[in-house]
Amino acid sequence: MEALSNQILVAVTFAYLAASVLYLCHWVIKVNVFGTLASLLSWVTFAAQTTAIIMRWVASHEMGIGHAPFSNLFESLVFFSWTLALIYLIIELITKLRIIGAFAVPLAFLAMLYALTLDPSIKPLMPALKSNWLIAHVITCFLGYSGFGISAALGIMYLVTGQAREPGSKRALLLDDLIYQTVVVGFILLTAGIVTGSIWANSAWGTYWSWDPKETWSLITWLVYAAMLHSRFMRGWQGRRLAYFSLVGFACVLFTYFGVNLLLSGLHSYAT
Amino acid sequence: MSKDKQSNPGLGSVWKFFSSVKLSFSLLLIMALTSIAGTLIPQKEPAAAYVRGFGEAGARFIHFLGLDDMYHAPWFVLIMALLAANLIICSLDRLPTSLKLMKKDPESDLKSMRRPKEKFTLPGVPGDNQDRLQGALAKLVGPVHQGDSKDGITLFAQKGAWSRLGVYVVHASVLVILIGALVGNFFGFAGNVNIAEGETVDQIMLDTRQPMKLGFSLKLNKFKITFYDSGMPSEYRSDVTFIKNGKPVKDVVMIVNDPAEFEGIDFYQASYGTTPKWLEVKYTHGHKSYDVKLPYQRWKELPDGGFAGVSVFRENVRMGQMYQGPAARILYRADAKGETKELSAFRAGAKFARKGPVNFEIIKAVSVPYSGISVKYDPGVWFIWVGCTMMVVGFFIAFYFAHRKVWLRLTETGKGRTRVEIAGATNKNRPGLSRLLTRLAVELKDQPQEAE
Repeated sequence: MEALSNQILVAVTFAYLAASVLYLCHWVIKVNVFGTLASLLSWVTFAAQTTAIIMRWVASHEMGIGHAPFSNLFESLVFFSWTLALIYLIIELITKLRIIGAFAVPLAFLAMLYALTLDPSIKPLMPALKSNWLIAHVITCFLGYSGFGISAALGIMYLVTGQAREPGSKRALLLDDLIYQTVVVGFILLTAGIVTGSIWANSAWGTYWSWDPKETWSLITWLVYAAMLHSRFMRGWQGRRLAYFSLVGFACVLFTYFGVNLLLSGLHSYAT
Repeated sequence: MSKDKQSNPGLGSVWKFFSSVKLSFSLLLIMALTSIAGTLIPQKEPAAAYVRGFGEAGARFIHFLGLDDMYHAPWFVLIMALLAANLIICSLDRLPTSLKLMKKDPESDLKSMRRPKEKFTLPGVPGDNQDRLQGALAKLVGPVHQGDSKDGITLFAQKGAWSRLGVYVVHASVLVILIGALVGNFFGFAGNVNIAEGETVDQIMLDTRQPMKLGFSLKLNKFKITFYDSGMPSEYRSDVTFIKNGKPVKDVVMIVNDPAEFEGIDFYQASYGTTPKWLEVKYTHGHKSYDVKLPYQRWKELPDGGFAGVSVFRENVRMGQMYQGPAARILYRADAKGETKELSAFRAGAKFARKGPVNFEIIKAVSVPYSGISVKYDPGVWFIWVGCTMMVVGFFIAFYFAHRKVWLRLTETGKGRTRVEIAGATNKNRPGLSRLLTRLAVELKDQPQEAE
C-alpha cells in the first residue's frame, strides 16, 4: 500500500503540472474549455492526493508504527500541496475565477516536485513527536501557510495582469479583497498553529515559548501579517502595495518552513 | 479623552502619537525585523563561543547590544513595551466611539436611511404588506423599529453591533499574554536535575545556576529507553517516586510529551546519560594491596582504616603518546581526622604513573543510567492560555462578524401597489452586506400563495 501511495503521488505531481498548464492556456488563450478541463483535472488530482495521503496513514498502521502522515519533510510537503489545492479549489468554487488557478496550482505542483526529490519511505515516529498535538499543530500551521501561499499567488496575479494600472476596476478590487481575505484565513490559522505549538511545547519541554529559531520565525511571519492587516486602515496601502506585501509575507512563511531547518539549528530539526 | 487634548496640547500630541495605526504598523515591522538577529546569532552561549564565531570585535558588539540574549535585551523589551502602550492607548482612544455606535438609539437611525440598493413593487398598499416584510426583516436581521412619515413607512433593523468589540478582545488578549509572560518571569522558576537510577534528590539546579530545595524528594526507580526494530529510539521513560516527609507519596511514569506534576511543579523527561556509580580500584598502601570499590563523591572506609572516595572520573583521557584510558581523581585520608589529599588514578599497570606510598589504580568503572529532568513552575501559564483563547475568538468576531444595518421603506405608488426600497450599512465586509440585501429582496418578492 505504501508503494501504491507513492506511485499515486508521482502521478499527482504531474497532474498538477498539467492542470497548471491548462489554467495558463485558459488565461492566455482565453478559451473556456481549457478552464473547464483544468478544474476537472484539479478536482480529480485533489481526490487522488487525498486518497494517497489516507493510504499512507493506513500503511503506517499496517507496519505497526501507525502515525498521522505529518512526521517529516516529505510528508509535510505532500500535505502542504494538498492544503494549497484545497484552499485554491474553495476560492474557485466561490469566485468562479479560473485564471487564479494559473498562479495558485503551480504552487501545489512545486511543493509536490520538491517532495519527489526526498526519501518517501514511512519511518517510525521519534519520541518528541509522539503527541496528540502533532495533528492539530501540523494541520493548522499548513492550512495557514497555504492561505498565505494562495494570497501570494493572488498578489502575483494582481501584479502580472496589470491590475495596478486600474486599481478601481471591479477585477482589481476583487483581487485586492481576495488577497486580504486569504491573509485573514492564513493569519487565524497561523495563530491557531502557534497556539497549538505552544501548548504542545509546554507539555513536552515545559515551556510554551523558548525563542527557538522556528518559533521566532513563525512570530516574525505573524508580525509581518499583523502589520499587513493593520495597513488596511492606512491610506494608500491597498492594491499594488498589498500585492507586494503578500509576497514579502509569503517569503517569511517559506523561510519559516524551509530556511530555518536548512540554515538554522533548533528544536524543530526533526523536520528536515 | 478629547478633554485632555484641549486642556493640554503636549499630552494631546503624545496621546495622538501613541494611538496611531501607523505606529502599530511600524512597531510590528520593527519587532519582526529585529527578531531576525536572534535567529542568526546563537543565543545564551558562553562568551568564548561568540569570540570564536564572530571575532573579538564582533563579540564585543554582540555583548554591547545584548544580542547574545536579545529577546530579553532592554531595547527589545522596550519595543514590546511600546507596542503594549500603543495597543492600550489606541484601544482607549477608540473604545468610547465604538460603544457609542453600539448603543446608538435606533430611532435616530430610522431617520438616516442610506441610498437604496434594491427597489421593486408589490401588490397591495403598504399596510397590507407591512406585517410580512417586518417578519422577514426580523428573521434575517433582528428586532424591527418602525417610523412613519408622510412618505411612507420606514422599518429599521440591525445585527452584530457587539462585533465592534472584537478588535478590543484581540488587543486585550495580547496584553493578557504579555502579563502571563511577566508573571512567569517574576514568580516562576525553571531548572533541571540529573538523577542516577536508584538515587534520591531533594534539590534542583536553577537555570540561573543557583541550587534550590524542592521541599520534597524524587527517587528515580528506573530509566529505560525502548527502540524500534530499526534501532531508532521509540521512548524514553523514567519511573519516579515523589517522597514527602520521608514517605513515598506518588509513583509516576514520565515520558517525553507526558510530564509529571507534584505540588504544582512540573517535571519533564528531558535528557539521559550514564554516570559513574562506583570505581573498582587496586588500593596500595606501602607493601599491601587491596581490591576496593570506591563510591562516587562519598567517603568509604578502607580495609586498613583510611578513607577514600572518587571526586572526578573520566572514561577516556588522552595524554599525548603516554597514556590513553580512564582517569580519576581520588580523595584520600589516612584516618578519620587526617588531612585530605587528592590523588590521580589511571588504568592498573599504566607505566608512567608516579608511584607514591599510597596508590590507586583503576580496575573497573561501574556506571548507572541517569535521567535528566527539567523542572518548571510557571504560574503565568494560565494567562497565556486565556490570552490565546481570547485572541482566536476575537479574530473570528473581528473578521467574520459585522455591524449591519438594514432599512426598508414602503411607499404607496398610487395604483394600489407598494414600492419597497432596501438600503444597508455596515462597518466591514461590503460584499457580505450586498448578499444579505439581495437575499432579503428575494425573500420579500416571494409572495405567499394566498396573496396571489
